[in-house]
Amino acid sequence: MNQERIFKVLLGPHISEKAAIVADANNQYVFKVAADATKPEIKKAVEALFEVSVTGVSTVNVKGKTKRTARGIGRRKGFRKAYVSVAEGQEIDFAGAE
Amino acid sequence: MQVSVETTSGLERRVTIQVPAAQIDEAVEQRLQQTAKSARINGFRRGKVPMSFVRRQYGNEVRAEVVSEVMRTKYVEAITQEKLNPAGFPEIDASVNEAGKDLEFVATLEVYPEVEVGSVADLSVEKPVASVSDEDLDKMIEVLREQQAKWNEVDRAATEQDQVNIDFEGFIDGEAFEGGKAEGHDLGLSSGTFIPGFEAQLVGTKAGEEKDVNVTFPEDYQAEQLKGKDAVFKVKVNKVSEQQKPELNDDFFKLYGVEEGGLEAFRADVKKNMERELEQTIKNKVKEQIVTALVERNEFDVPKALISNEIDALRQQAVQQFGGPSNFDASALPAELFQEQAEKRVKLGLLMASVVEAKELKADEAAIRAYVEKLAESYQDPQQVVDYYMNNEQMRQQLESAVLEEQVVENLLNEASVNEVEMSYDDAIKPAEKNAEAA
Repeated sequence: MNQERIFKVLLGPHISEKAAIVADANNQYVFKVAADATKPEIKKAVEALFEVSVTGVSTVNVKGKTKRTARGIGRRKGFRKAYVSVAEGQEIDFAGAE
Repeated sequence: MQVSVETTSGLERRVTIQVPAAQIDEAVEQRLQQTAKSARINGFRRGKVPMSFVRRQYGNEVRAEVVSEVMRTKYVEAITQEKLNPAGFPEIDASVNEAGKDLEFVATLEVYPEVEVGSVADLSVEKPVASVSDEDLDKMIEVLREQQAKWNEVDRAATEQDQVNIDFEGFIDGEAFEGGKAEGHDLGLSSGTFIPGFEAQLVGTKAGEEKDVNVTFPEDYQAEQLKGKDAVFKVKVNKVSEQQKPELNDDFFKLYGVEEGGLEAFRADVKKNMERELEQTIKNKVKEQIVTALVERNEFDVPKALISNEIDALRQQAVQQFGGPSNFDASALPAELFQEQAEKRVKLGLLMASVVEAKELKADEAAIRAYVEKLAESYQDPQQVVDYYMNNEQMRQQLESAVLEEQVVENLLNEASVNEVEMSYDDAIKPAEKNAEAA
């Protein structure tokens, strides 16, 4: 994977109550990632950018909500989300890298 | 809490205060927990934000808040503990302010000087003694009559006591000059309002008469181009009027609020007023002497903060007095203008306070009431005045300090030797050279 791709894979941290819980309980960090990103790509990108060792990546495609308006039915944008498990004892601090 | 006090100079003190870290951190933590309950951060429901997020978002802010609060309360504690008496506000600077470390801060402040009022036993005060004689009374009534006098037109030559109504136009070297013309001007012939010599030359004129008046403008005349010039005024006398003083009858008495009792009551009333005024003036004169002596005899350093406060107050007063526009920035006036007066007033205030403390003086209810009743005497409806003063908190405080001041002066008077000096009413009532600047 070339250097350019690394900066294109990760779109940002996904901050939510669930993300906070899994960070505490499983040392997992949640990212929004590019729609075409693969698990190995994500693993490499996180390892390169945050200097941690990644033990696992799960991904999920979040579908956009369908919204009905007077003009008919619309659909919001979906996105791809990755749960990245980090080796015990290591952590990612989003504060510096948002 | 550890406190150490250094004296840097004269009245300035540096107070270094240490507060244990645990105390601060605990307070910060508590405050953060409170914030967490209501904080809103995207991605979390209200109140569900994890502490780590809250700490990152609000930590510094909350800490600064807590620290400034702690500094304020601890400063007050330290002051009471060390029995310092601060004048004005301190300058507080945190020297060590980090989480986990003891907070250390330095407060720089000025303290009130220890004022000890020296004895005034060797001071001799001149106290004017005067009484209102019948002559003085007659003179006063004459003045009152003159104030109410009317002018009646008469058909005869004007005398010095008369008033003439004139048109005039002034010429210098045959040319009219600006401001030298008027019509229908009322001029009292002994009033001294015009250029010297002008009025005297009109004595003996009659209504309808025209006369040229030759005068020389004095050297210190206010208009530059007219100073020292000779001028001719063409004057036309329209009217000659004679002053008519009102009769001493009930109508006249009524003007001064004496409804019944006639001459007798009127004289008594006037006399009472004069006596009151006399008493007041004598009191002020004596007080002024005491006060000046106090300030002169007691030299001490005065906190700068107090002086600058006083200067600000004086500036405001000055602006009000001279009727500046309401948005006039009082602080634009130079401080040096007020420096001396402010210093004197602050000193006096401190001295007064120390006398009050030393002698354990107190303004009690009865004293205040007596003072107000005295004050109210000269009004139409004394009771109303008394009520007004007694029911107004601010007024009451003013009264209290006035009463205290009076007690201080009395107290000092008892110590000092008082020379009674006999003088006439006129001399006694004359204002002292300097007005009392008593605070």
